Amino acid sequence: MVGASGQGVNSIGAIIAKGLKRSGYCVFGYREYPSLIKGGHASYQLDISNQRIRSTETKVNVLIALNHHGLELNMEELKPGGIVLHVTPGWQFPEHHQKLIAERSLRVIYFPVDDILDRLGARAILSNVLLTAFVWSMLDQDLDALKSLVGEKFAKKKALLELNMRCIDEGFSFVDPEQGRISVALPPPDTDFAGHLLITGSQAMGLGAVHAGVRLYAGYPMTPSSPLLSFVAELENKTHMVVKQAEDEITAAQIVSGAMYMGTRALTATSGVGFDLMSETLSLNAMIENPTVFVLAQRPGPATGLPTWTAQSGLLQAANCSAGEFTRCVISVSNSQDAFDLMPVAFNLAEQYQISVIVLTDKQIAEALYTQQPYDLETAEIDRGRLVVDPEKLKLLKSSDRFDPHAKSGVSLRWLPGSEAATYCAQGDEHNSMGAVDESSLNTKSQMEKRLKKFHGLKAGFPAPHLSICGRSATTTDWMDTGDEIELLAIGWGSTGDVLQDVMCSDELRGAEDRLFALHLSLAAPHRRTSEIGHAVETHRPGGAELSGAVGHAHQDGMRHGYPG
Amino acid sequence: MNVALQTRPPALSEYYSETKCIWCDGCGNYGIWTAVKYALVELNLHPWQVCLCYDVGCNGNGSDKIEGYRFHGLHGRVIPFAAGAKLANMRIPVIAFAGDGATFSEGIGHLIHGVRSNYPITFVLHNNTNYGLTTGQASSLTPQGQSMNTSPNGIPEHTLASMELIFSLNPTFVARGFSGDIKLMTRILKAAIQHRGFAFVEMLQACPTYNHFATHEYLLNKYFDANADGHDPSNLQQAKALATQVQDRIACGILYQRGDIPHFYDRLIPRQGVETTCVEEVRRYDVSKYWKELA
Repeated sequence: MVGASGQGVNSIGAIIAKGLKRSGYCVFGYREYPSLIKGGHASYQLDISNQRIRSTETKVNVLIALNHHGLELNMEELKPGGIVLHVTPGWQFPEHHQKLIAERSLRVIYFPVDDILDRLGARAILSNVLLTAFVWSMLDQDLDALKSLVGEKFAKKKALLELNMRCIDEGFSFVDPEQGRISVALPPPDTDFAGHLLITGSQAMGLGAVHAGVRLYAGYPMTPSSPLLSFVAELENKTHMVVKQAEDEITAAQIVSGAMYMGTRALTATSGVGFDLMSETLSLNAMIENPTVFVLAQRPGPATGLPTWTAQSGLLQAANCSAGEFTRCVISVSNSQDAFDLMPVAFNLAEQYQISVIVLTDKQIAEALYTQQPYDLETAEIDRGRLVVDPEKLKLLKSSDRFDPHAKSGVSLRWLPGSEAATYCAQGDEHNSMGAVDESSLNTKSQMEKRLKKFHGLKAGFPAPHLSICGRSATTTDWMDTGDEIELLAIGWGSTGDVLQDVMCSDELRGAEDRLFALHLSLAAPHRRTSEIGHAVETHRPGGAELSGAVGHAHQDGMRHGYPG
Repeated sequence: MNVALQTRPPALSEYYSETKCIWCDGCGNYGIWTAVKYALVELNLHPWQVCLCYDVGCNGNGSDKIEGYRFHGLHGRVIPFAAGAKLANMRIPVIAFAGDGATFSEGIGHLIHGVRSNYPITFVLHNNTNYGLTTGQASSLTPQGQSMNTSPNGIPEHTLASMELIFSLNPTFVARGFSGDIKLMTRILKAAIQHRGFAFVEMLQACPTYNHFATHEYLLNKYFDANADGHDPSNLQQAKALATQVQDRIACGILYQRGDIPHFYDRLIPRQGVETTCVEEVRRYDVSKYWKELA
């Protein structure tokens, strides 16, 4: 679907996606749009299959153009035998497109939206419903299924509902006078998908956060982190959470830090330069050993860059920004599965190590529509680390327990304001074990070492990169058995993981299954250095040393959290 | 404020910290520090029952000179931190301290939105009209023309009309104290901590090292207790006039207070009728009921 922003490109995509998912198809929805409200050129691509798909193809079978710009800009993307559906009266294709139509045997259908709307006395906005219904009939789908879907949306608006239903009937029964009825054959459905969710990465992350016990969310709008803020706000009356739109990113980060210091689980999300503003708070949290979770929804920079486009541009920013050196953790989610699963993991790591965890996502994940198996709600644990809540144990605490440099793994006991116990100071200056300022070299050294020591424990407990062969989760033996035949090792992280999987499962690569490996990283920092991964690959050659480090752990841990290959 | 009654009342000594005070002789912080301890004890609060949040500066260096659950953060940022802490646990009084530089220069946006949001916290402004800890630079409250560390020819900018700004934000509590009058400050702080909403408390304080234009003696001669003079804090116009007209005399005391405006938390629809705090609510939630619409 292509057209201008504001023409309803997304709503057509979303409703067809939902209908097809209910019919038993795996749908992947991908959105592109410029940073403006009305106008420009926007698109919504749906990939549809009866097997698991996780990303979009670059070429399409059907192009639905809501304006002539779409025809001008997107014709080249059609596959041979494809269909062009457009609504522009009297449109004359330029010569190079006429050539394209002939070469690729494209079928062109003009759908007279304006005429039908006039006849129905309906407003222009209903052209979406007309088009949706027409496409629905092209896909040989059930009319009543579409009606019930649209009915859910307008259940409370009777007058609108009636008009919508008439548009569905009109659209569904439209037959092109020249070409007759057009039918696009879909493969047989797989009913498993019918029970799945159709969910964006942002929604998945929001649900994951609530599941993880987040009770306060503070954020400042910035694409592509805004959908998370909106989703959490949308749920606030049901979850009873405190949701606060802050006056800026600094405020959001500080509110979250204050809330976490007090002892709840709180979350904020931002993008690019918004995270720059939050980085002073990241640094502060390291010094006061305050657990926090930041979502960094990456977008291309520098500066405000390309607000609505995607890039994995924030890894070094997340891993390196801020004053001084300290232990932090960077996790990258890869799809709607671990957008959910990694939220409890992030909060647990934050509280276990009393550090900040930065969860990377990007616009691709934040706004893509995934066909998602309902989440497992039994597995995730709430692990609050060394938090002391027992009244008897609280009474035994000394102020100096809070930042005790001798604490094992550098993680000291933590207890919350309001606990009947010895008090302490969460001190942003270098401080001693109880939080009093101490600038002596001896103290500085021991406290720095304490905070950096967490790195080792954190790293040791990290699931290593996950290895797969052509979409299958790989084992040591698989790797060993390949002999010298590994033709390609693709290394990815974040949203590229799913794309890699789809590529490796594609028809084009069939037959080469055993020679194509993918290595995928979900947990990005503490760094598994390139050299470390390289070493892992080197040592896994047949006859080489035993598997160690990065790849070795993948088989045990990789799939436990549902990380994709 | 909702703190459990204690069988054993708190003693001033509970707030005693072994960390030595490092302020200059004659610093106004000593008086404010003492008044804070008096106020907390008189409100029957033990150190473990309070959260004291400090900004950066000489006042922030007081974070380890008192007991209580304390936080010492970044320059200009104490208000949102304190607000977040309070929203997470409404049972604990949260008091935030910051100097005039943090409040009216670096963190002025946070102040504006703090008052506007009417967060249920107490905010204590340590106003010594300069940046003390960084060795005597001008703040936006230093008088125009005054020569300071980085402005040898005098400050070119207007002095910010701090109280006019505060009153433009529809505050619910405005008070002014003087670091030389501990009794007055204690009374103000007690009322501020008990106030349901954002309590803005300005403490005029001496800075013997860098402020030679508004000295302890100068403030001592000019300040007066407006409440003792019969000022009614519910009178907005009079409060505003007293707060802003400081040429001849400086009115101190509780200048303005209204309790009929709901504070931020009380306005949160999702929290209405919820008896627990966000801190107590951390657990694993079944979110399947929230994804029904996504199926």
